[in-house]
Amino acid sequence: MEKQWSEMTWQERREERFKKWLNPPVKLPSPAIEKLYKERLTRMIKAIKMEIPDRVPIHLAANSFVAYNAGHTLYDVLYDYSLIKPSWIKFLEEFEQDSADAPGFFAARVYEILDYKVNAWPGHGLPKTSTLPNFIEKEYMQADEYDLFMKDPFDFGLRKFTPRTWGAFEPFTSVPSFSSYSGLPERLMMMCQDPNFKKLFKAIVEASDENAKHQKVMMECAQESLKRGFPPLMGGVMLAPFDTVADMLRGTSGVVKDMFRQPEKLLESLEIIADNSIRSTVGMVNMARSPIVFVPMHKGADSFMSVPQFEKFYWPTFRKLILGVVNEGCVPMMIIDGSYNEARLKIISELPKSCVIWTMEKTDMALSKKILGNSACIAGNVTAAMLYTQTAQQIKEYARKLIETCAPGGGYILALGSGIDKCDPKNLHAVVEAGLEYGKY
Amino acid sequence: MPQTKEWKDMTWQEKREARFDRWLNPPEVKFVSKEAEQLYKERVTRFIKAIKLEEPDRVPVMLPTGNFPAYWGGSSFHELMYNYKKGNEIWKKYMVAFGDMDAFNGPNFIPAGKISEVVRSKQTKLPGLGLPKEATMNQFVEGEYMMPDEYDRYMLDPTDYNLRVMMPRTTPLFESFKKLPAFSNIMGNFWVMALTDPDVRKTFETLMSLTDEQRKWTAATLEISQYIKERGYPSLFGGGVMAGAPFDHFADALRGTQGIARDMFRQPKKLHEAMERYLNWTIETNIKNFPMTQSPICMMPLHKGDDAFMSDKQFAEFYWPTYRRLLLAMIDEGLVPMPFAEGRYTNRLKQITDTPPSGVVWYFDQTDMKEAKRILGGICCIAGNVPTSVVIKGTPETVKEYCRKLIQDCAPGGGFILAGGASIDNGKIENLQAMMEAAKEHGVYKK
Repeated sequence: MEKQWSEMTWQERREERFKKWLNPPVKLPSPAIEKLYKERLTRMIKAIKMEIPDRVPIHLAANSFVAYNAGHTLYDVLYDYSLIKPSWIKFLEEFEQDSADAPGFFAARVYEILDYKVNAWPGHGLPKTSTLPNFIEKEYMQADEYDLFMKDPFDFGLRKFTPRTWGAFEPFTSVPSFSSYSGLPERLMMMCQDPNFKKLFKAIVEASDENAKHQKVMMECAQESLKRGFPPLMGGVMLAPFDTVADMLRGTSGVVKDMFRQPEKLLESLEIIADNSIRSTVGMVNMARSPIVFVPMHKGADSFMSVPQFEKFYWPTFRKLILGVVNEGCVPMMIIDGSYNEARLKIISELPKSCVIWTMEKTDMALSKKILGNSACIAGNVTAAMLYTQTAQQIKEYARKLIETCAPGGGYILALGSGIDKCDPKNLHAVVEAGLEYGKY
Repeated sequence: MPQTKEWKDMTWQEKREARFDRWLNPPEVKFVSKEAEQLYKERVTRFIKAIKLEEPDRVPVMLPTGNFPAYWGGSSFHELMYNYKKGNEIWKKYMVAFGDMDAFNGPNFIPAGKISEVVRSKQTKLPGLGLPKEATMNQFVEGEYMMPDEYDRYMLDPTDYNLRVMMPRTTPLFESFKKLPAFSNIMGNFWVMALTDPDVRKTFETLMSLTDEQRKWTAATLEISQYIKERGYPSLFGGGVMAGAPFDHFADALRGTQGIARDMFRQPKKLHEAMERYLNWTIETNIKNFPMTQSPICMMPLHKGDDAFMSDKQFAEFYWPTYRRLLLAMIDEGLVPMPFAEGRYTNRLKQITDTPPSGVVWYFDQTDMKEAKRILGGICCIAGNVPTSVVIKGTPETVKEYCRKLIQDCAPGGGFILAGGASIDNGKIENLQAMMEAAKEHGVYKK
């Protein structure tokens, strides 16, 4: 008899998801490719479970590098989607690794049509030569709006947050709340009568047509990855609740003030965000092939807050969120931007064994292995700075040392510390070579 | 009068005076003559005095005119759903034919047919749309649109619940809203993803295709309402459409009578919690800082609190506390809530006395008016209640006699508005005129 989902342990649920992941979503071109897909994925899964695979898996988060590697700029690929697929194929064929999704380029025109205010990118607020987009942090939520955010999140999203982050949605600022159902159909109709809304809907339709073109290219890229036996990695994305507030809503300066002036409101919202994120993340993963959930982490790092603040504001709800999705068989893969000191590593090591992956940017990897070695799979940390400034030989040597330090006993993925933009392709090759040469168990 | 005090520093009576003043001197109305202006002011003053429990020159009258002019003019509800111009013409003729009235409104409650066809709600039937073409009224269709286990979901994110759950259930045009993503994950391009879905897009395209029709209907509605006022007839419905009682919100639109009756026994706490939330939102989002509208009167049809639907004990526990707080919040903004107690409220009278004197106007349908006067006299202005049957089937003499008795019972000392128990559709203009005559003959206050 098969066990019901509700009766399964988190490990059993994860096994179910791993099984789904090991079955490629489409028929692969040949048995050899299918074998390759399963080998690569088995390597990943073993590393996650802190078992010993045949060799250390390699993961390259390449970002803008994909464009530059093909002789284009980031500006080129953001505006000309036809360049994306050939660049992606080139990247796939040149760099061996154990997973690949699709490139992370957004559709610049969609953002322009809707006047997206949260990003600047080459050709839009940044020089065309810029190699990375820029995140524009602001108080998109006012200090006195926590209550609305908590008690009627959709309303806050619709009438406050969206118009502030997407300029085209300005008309929503003057619409009355939809929190009462009475007469809602009529009110929606009245809304559509407003010429400003007509303009907005025209823009959305235009944007979604543009988006569809872009999506098509991205889907094709994902197919290209599969065709070459690369398993998909990204099943979903989430943020630590504190980062949701600090990055997206209140901004760094806003959240810092809130930690002192209205800590209760902040903590209360973090709980609600954690609950909502569990639901939406599991929903995303249910629709995906891979159970891996990417978690870019920001404001909990050494330079942003003290350890007592981390313990009070950052960790409890983040832990709740992690455990919530783990319990549903998902595998959170954190990327710790900046660095975590010993105290922080100790705090995060207190999770059930092997339920997450910690990717480090600047955190000391030996220390990570020492503290997290019995707790979770770790990944990292050839940094963008190294790739940019050092020689292939130096990088290969660094990667060799990483493997030597972190690989013993399993539970290690050779990875970059962050996404990269421009570097000598030889340097990235050096990472791969080191993995292939020194990573065998 | 120049305002010397900040709004927030005013007492509720001062706020109400400011709103009354706006009603009495409407800046958007250009009266056709001095006489029209004078009549307008006399009429509004009559209502204001009655509301304030003072003695006006005579008892004011709220005629149960409803959609009667349509039938008087040889047309029908159904026809006027499609021919707004004709509706306005008939109403104009009717106004002249009738003569003196204390208040009058356009055919506002007849919706636009072309729009109703497309945005068909399962909760409403209209002549030709679910009802025979000859039907003279719209019909509300109650159902269990919210499930018993959905209170938590509703409370967690009410807007989300309304848009993604209720709309698809009640209105087929919004079926696609099921596919809207939740907003709880606030990263990413929500609307772009939503509108990439062809069904969601189609819904919005359909809505926008109705814009011209909607504009025509709105223009016609504005035209007639302006026309009527310019000729000296005030409107009592200028306060905007207001929320009803929190209990009714759940009982009528969401859970239905059966559902709510079970909830009162099986999950009273959830129901209380949800009503509490709903009340707070309503006050926060709809009542506070309520704009200066044409009149401060807010008609509030009430349903499930009447004698037949619940016991005194249930009324005291489930209905009155949240509704009373809503009334107090409205009064505090200077608004004049006018609950329309459909059905019978005779048992309730003793339970609704705890509102500030002159704050509320109770409009009764089948309630014993003598009792109402005895219990609410000095607390609330009361309005009512010539039965529809008498207005439709009676003779001018029987109507007049009925009115005379009502005036005798309720008018002394002020605080009474003569009204019908409910609006009529078919009937005789003479009977409505008889109501006016009764007020003039028997309702004059001696100085």
